[in-house]
Amino acid sequence: MNEEKTQKFKMIRIFAFFLLFIPCFAKAQQTFNTTIYFDYGMFLTKRGPLTSNPKSNYLAFRRAYFTYENKINDNLKFRFRYDADNTANITSIDFTKGLTKKDDKLRPFIKHLYFEYAGLLPNSNLRVGMTETIQYKIAEDRWGYRSVAKTLMDNYKDMTGVDVDAPSADLGISFNKNIAKQLRFTFMVSNGEGYSHAEKDKYKKFAANLHFIPIAGLSFVGYIDYEKQDAENSAMTYKVDGYMEMVRKLTIGAEYFIYKNDKNLTAEMERFDVLGFSIFSRYTVIEGSLSLFARFDLYEPNSSSKSDEMNLIIAGFDFSPWDKSMKIQPNIWYRAYADKAKKDDVIFNITFFLSF
Amino acid sequence: MKRLITILTLSLMALSMASEPSSVGKKMIQIKGSDTMVNIVQILAEKYMTLNPGAAIAVLGGGSGTGISALINRTCDIANHSREWKQKEIDLAWEKGIKPRFFIIAVDGLSIIVNEKNPIEKLTMEELGAIYRGEIKNWKAFGGPDKTISLYGRQSNSGTYVFIQEHVLGNKNYSPEMKEMNGNAQIIEGILQDEDGIGYVGVGYLFDRDGKIRKGIKVLNIAKDHNSPAFSPLDKEAVDRGDYPVARPLYQATNGKPSRDVADFIAFEIGPEGQKIVEREGFFTIGVKHREENEKNLK
Repeated sequence: MNEEKTQKFKMIRIFAFFLLFIPCFAKAQQTFNTTIYFDYGMFLTKRGPLTSNPKSNYLAFRRAYFTYENKINDNLKFRFRYDADNTANITSIDFTKGLTKKDDKLRPFIKHLYFEYAGLLPNSNLRVGMTETIQYKIAEDRWGYRSVAKTLMDNYKDMTGVDVDAPSADLGISFNKNIAKQLRFTFMVSNGEGYSHAEKDKYKKFAANLHFIPIAGLSFVGYIDYEKQDAENSAMTYKVDGYMEMVRKLTIGAEYFIYKNDKNLTAEMERFDVLGFSIFSRYTVIEGSLSLFARFDLYEPNSSSKSDEMNLIIAGFDFSPWDKSMKIQPNIWYRAYADKAKKDDVIFNITFFLSF
Repeated sequence: MKRLITILTLSLMALSMASEPSSVGKKMIQIKGSDTMVNIVQILAEKYMTLNPGAAIAVLGGGSGTGISALINRTCDIANHSREWKQKEIDLAWEKGIKPRFFIIAVDGLSIIVNEKNPIEKLTMEELGAIYRGEIKNWKAFGGPDKTISLYGRQSNSGTYVFIQEHVLGNKNYSPEMKEMNGNAQIIEGILQDEDGIGYVGVGYLFDRDGKIRKGIKVLNIAKDHNSPAFSPLDKEAVDRGDYPVARPLYQATNGKPSRDVADFIAFEIGPEGQKIVEREGFFTIGVKHREENEKNLK
């Protein structure tokens, strides 16, 4: 009975807390935004690991975001973002037969849910909640074609079987400060599990980046993170980026990372590292309606093996014939493998990008 | 392979559709930003295009913040802004390789307006700040009627909102009771309908078609403090001397040295003909110091 009362009291307190915020929200500036990517894809080869699939052309939704932002006052902002994909859609489990059913419907999940406070120190902001991680956000902004492909650390984690612990959002606290126009840093403490999983251990992930801009349009970013995996093991990421935006209409960027996890062991019980390099460029031909982009990735999922390296070349253009909220982004992917047994994959996509 | 050729052909056809209509003549100059400045810059652009056949200029509003963002993202040639850049905007511009150059094209005596039925004639800066912070809520405090003050202001992406916050509110927050209006015209409409209202608008928005102060509104005189005389924003000499305390420069920014087309247009704006239009539209012309700085930045 006492427990029930305590529970009731807790609920009332939570409800009262939210009621306190309602007047602030009512006066605040609110924005809603939706972004959708979908592809018409065609396999131009038939024997690669990706293109040997029976399907050879398809229409597929990849992502649908719904973002709500509420600027409560000049210092305080709230963001809620739903994301939707179809990567984990088990709809039922038959325990008697040990079978699962799956479909490909887009299902929403919470990607961002955080408060941002800008008044702690001058030129700083503090985020609390499910917020963007800081490994590759700067790279993603410079690459600018998340609709076509994820950036280096984000792109391969699901396809190589070796997890690099690089979620794009996580539950935690991040703090960003501009020390001078040439120097800024971000520090983040988070669960380390990303937005897909609940915290499973007592260890937290510590991440920091330092962004140095010696001259206007030329940036260097150093990044490091650390998380204990269990009592004996830990994981670390080292990353270096460089960006050049000094020439009008042209952006060039490069990323290099090494991921070290004591739990990544070969059959001989020796640790192997995951590493990758990416260089990309985009060029605006007609402001607001036509840009070209290209990228080269080199990805090494296991530093102790010589046969698993893979290369990726992406090239395409971004075309907005009617309005910038509707973009057509034809792009071609050429993927080559160090393993001679694997044939190259070539895939052509017409990516449609809608934002409203 | 046939399929690839078909795709490439279709893509090239699509590309040809994307060519800019303006590419036939001169490149269109894109100007974006301050709502306070959109009318005056539009009038300047129209006159300039009449005098220079073939010149093409598009002027859009959206607020100073929108214009500054557009310049940083390279989607406009000139940003109109009625406030100075914030540090985070300067930092972002540096990161993106944008080196802003600033030009002052006019001076705006920001007017504090009330309904003509309101007996109040003047306020000090401190009193005005206390009203907009929500610390004083009744006209009685200034010898007016026993009525709740109704606040009208701009949205936070407006340069006017930021200017008032920095210069009148002492960088403190606006009262949550303030009605955030989309533009100067909406604030004037609000004050016309609301006898207890107070609002702030660019001086250029005070006049009707005949060049007279719009019927139904009253422009308050503002004093720096209790010991100083109060001045009207319509008193050009007081604004020029710096005695009217709620005056501000109206800026334009370009990315680095402006291109020839852009420089020609700015030279027109700050030149004798442009400044005549500035004055006619109710803003104040720039002084010698600003003119010299502008000319230096054009080179």
